[in-house]
Amino acid sequence: MATFEFLMQGLLVAAQPMNLLYALIGVTLGTAVGVLPGIGPALTVALLLPVTYRLDPGGSLIMFAGIYYGGMYGGSTTSILLNTPGESASIVTALEGNKMARAGRGGPALATAAIGSFVAGLIATLGLAFIAPYIVKLALVFGPREYFALMVLAFVTVSSAFGDSTLRGLTSLFIGLALSVVGIDQLTGQARLSFGVPELLDGIEVTTLAVAMFAIGETLYIAAQGDKGPDKVEAVRGSVWMSAADWARSWKAWLRGTFIGFPIGAMPAGGAEIGTFLSYAAEKRLTKHPEEFGNGAIEGVAGPEAANNASAAGTLVPLLTLGLPTTATAAIMLAGFQQYGLQPGPLLFATNPQLVWGLIASLLIANFMLLVLNLPLIGLWVKLLTVPKPWLYAGILLFATLGTIGANPSVYELGMLLAFGLLGYAMRIFGYPIAPVVVGLILGPLAEQQLRRALAISQGDYSVLFTSPIAAVLLLIAAAALIVPLILRARGRGEVLSQLAANED
Amino acid sequence: MTKGHHPSSATRRPDRAALFIAAVLAAIAGLIFWDVSRLTGAAGYSQVGPTTVPYAIACCLLGLAVWTAIEAFRGDFPERERQEVAPVIWIVGGLAAQMLLLNIAGFSIATGILFALTARGFGKRKLWFSLPLGIVLCFAVWVIFAKLLQLSLPAGPLERLFF
Amino acid sequence: MKHIFLATILAGAMSLPAVAADYTIIAPANPGGGWDQTARSLQTVMQQEGISGNVQVQNVPGAGGTIGLAQFASQQKGNPNALIVGGYVMVGAILTNKSPVTLKDVTPIARLTGEYEAVVVPASSEIKTMGDLVEALKKDPGAVSWAGGSAGGTDHIAVGLIAKAAGVDPTKINYIAYSGGGEALAAILGSQVTAGVSGYGEFESQVKAGTLRLIAVSSAERIAGVDAPTLKESGLDVVVENWRMVAAAPGLSDEQKAAVSADIEKLAKSAGWQEVLKTKGWQDSYLAGDAFNTQLDKDVAATEGVLKDIGLVK
Repeated sequence: MATFEFLMQGLLVAAQPMNLLYALIGVTLGTAVGVLPGIGPALTVALLLPVTYRLDPGGSLIMFAGIYYGGMYGGSTTSILLNTPGESASIVTALEGNKMARAGRGGPALATAAIGSFVAGLIATLGLAFIAPYIVKLALVFGPREYFALMVLAFVTVSSAFGDSTLRGLTSLFIGLALSVVGIDQLTGQARLSFGVPELLDGIEVTTLAVAMFAIGETLYIAAQGDKGPDKVEAVRGSVWMSAADWARSWKAWLRGTFIGFPIGAMPAGGAEIGTFLSYAAEKRLTKHPEEFGNGAIEGVAGPEAANNASAAGTLVPLLTLGLPTTATAAIMLAGFQQYGLQPGPLLFATNPQLVWGLIASLLIANFMLLVLNLPLIGLWVKLLTVPKPWLYAGILLFATLGTIGANPSVYELGMLLAFGLLGYAMRIFGYPIAPVVVGLILGPLAEQQLRRALAISQGDYSVLFTSPIAAVLLLIAAAALIVPLILRARGRGEVLSQLAANED
Repeated sequence: MTKGHHPSSATRRPDRAALFIAAVLAAIAGLIFWDVSRLTGAAGYSQVGPTTVPYAIACCLLGLAVWTAIEAFRGDFPERERQEVAPVIWIVGGLAAQMLLLNIAGFSIATGILFALTARGFGKRKLWFSLPLGIVLCFAVWVIFAKLLQLSLPAGPLERLFF
Repeated sequence: MKHIFLATILAGAMSLPAVAADYTIIAPANPGGGWDQTARSLQTVMQQEGISGNVQVQNVPGAGGTIGLAQFASQQKGNPNALIVGGYVMVGAILTNKSPVTLKDVTPIARLTGEYEAVVVPASSEIKTMGDLVEALKKDPGAVSWAGGSAGGTDHIAVGLIAKAAGVDPTKINYIAYSGGGEALAAILGSQVTAGVSGYGEFESQVKAGTLRLIAVSSAERIAGVDAPTLKESGLDVVVENWRMVAAAPGLSDEQKAAVSADIEKLAKSAGWQEVLKTKGWQDSYLAGDAFNTQLDKDVAATEGVLKDIGLVK
């Protein structure tokens, strides 16, 4: 196998000083735009792609890889520091990450996110290089019924983000599901809950909802506390860096996140968010510090961030091996690859090895550059929290609306931002968790469409939902995850559960 | 956020806000029923048509409304902290102003107003200082993102003055 | 933060010369889709060929392009420097969404690119020809599941036309709509569905690798370099082309319209544009002036008929 030689060759080219500089510029630009709430990697790459055209093919490929990874990573910084997810895949990061930041542990949270992203990116990129053909076979086995079973499993795991009340958690989830119905029904083209407003026909944008509920809702809530709220966040308590205990708790989460995120990213209808949900739920089940979840558990940042980045590399599996762009980001990347004469598809690895391995080497280098850029910046980022509250929150709203306007400069979008911001504020007052709303909005349409597709293909025969082995296994896991804790709790043996979880580790 | 799970006591008055929430949930369910009933239920071959899932969601919302109402009567809802209204009005006003002015006054002025009003909501009273500061800051942001990074942000009189 | 911005400015200043704004192109879709790619390709080529100093692309996504179209028609009225990208999908979306703004409310300039639909089955399928597929369809329309793009889109219309031409009730087709070409392709490759319909470009590399079997294309004549019969040869009188066009704002004077048309013609004939067509695998279907308007009217009328047949438009 010449695989390894090709990779080394690619790395040698990519490691030339000029190319390293391009990678650094790409990562910087990608982070700068990706950090805006509401602007995800797709728009970041689309905006910055033309910048790369001016370079030679090698340099432009490597800068492109940098922009991609920078855009992916940018979202988690604002999630952690400002409770304002940059894109839907970093919503889960905000849950624990922001709590850590408020407790003066923003440094370790950012560090575990950065290093976790690096580790996951490294493993997943190597996975892309060596086992892509096998992964893609697995991904293609997933039809509508298997996806439906996966969505059921994802729904069950949402309960781990419910907080302390099942009623309020479920209510949040169903508000999200109700919102997910808005817009054109994909399978029949009929408009639902749109009330004749054309802007509602495409449904509610996940990023708009997330930015509104997290950033604007949070700002309103903090402002409404007046002077009695916490005066100032303590930016750094203890070390800015990760302690030995942080490392010990993070590394397993990184690996688990990677192994959850990579295959799900490779599935044509998987999506990065689902990997982050599953990873968060897994960490919550397996942790030895369950009391810290909801108050800033480092595993809850490390796992989902790793899953997020691993699924980004996973997306490249169907893209390179089948020419299948499975996300908006991938579709733009496909357009980018064509500029470099790279025609993704089943024959790519055979006909164009130099370019493929050049790309993989570029991804590895860009991943490394991301770490180089972000670790030293952590100290600076954390200082952001020391900005006096009025200017800090004025700035948050400035950037939150900038992201929304940049993605879609429409008055309606800003109106929705305001309306959902108020909803997020009201929900905070009454102690409703925010994340399940966003999760419901993301998962609702996916589950509905896959169910209906599965039944359409089987012409209304419900038994197909259980007869595929993969679907059956996924549904069994979901049922177990739902029922076992109930039984144990009913018997008053909650402690058995936590022991079991500890033993599994 | 305050902890839930107060021991229920029959002596407490029903929680009016929680009853209101229950009413809102029921209203959303009703809205879904009303809107979806007008669709032609073209289920095709799947039997589960475009109306099935919305109906299921609406039914669950009704159930949650009942559950919320029960908790409201039992007083199971968490205590709420007193909210200051004035800051919220300042910030909402800022967002509304930005929304209405965006296409007329351009990004810098509209967002600058949002910036200043948000700071006002957090207690910075000197609008004569924060407003120009916000506009200058937003103009710098506009130059970076609209001009250098090609993000499409609406231009107004201020932006046209320079570009 | 400051450091990043500084680096951003430096890098930006290095690569993007600041020139006075000229054309603004509205891409009425999210980044990544066909219209967005068309708009961004126009941007690149117009700047490269010196047709326009600086071109801005603005995404106004939503509802099959009808939101962008409505916004364009109202806000850009009389602005000779505004363009919008659109296409055949918009024709269908205007009808299914009952959009109050139609293509009559803008100034269509020219059709730029086109793509024909392809009908494929998994390589392992027992169906070898279009004839086999039609036979299966006649036997039990529900048992033949078709994967393609969104409901009411070009792919759906093509399946409706095929059913109609084969004498099968178009309302009986079992069409499974997917959000993007990628997802539909995965479903076909995984043999989740009987057949797939989408633009030929979506399937090209799979067909060449032998993982999909191409059984028909929707062009009037055989396409050079593509080894497949047309639908007409297979006995189905169906021709579908998914074209993309560029339109200008409403309310332009004749001179303004002529100027825009001249710029677009220059673009379409330029070497840079031809290069783009080649790398993207788009067919050149440049058609302007009255010929384009006549064709447009014909397409609108035909589409309305099919959508009524499928039952998507009342």
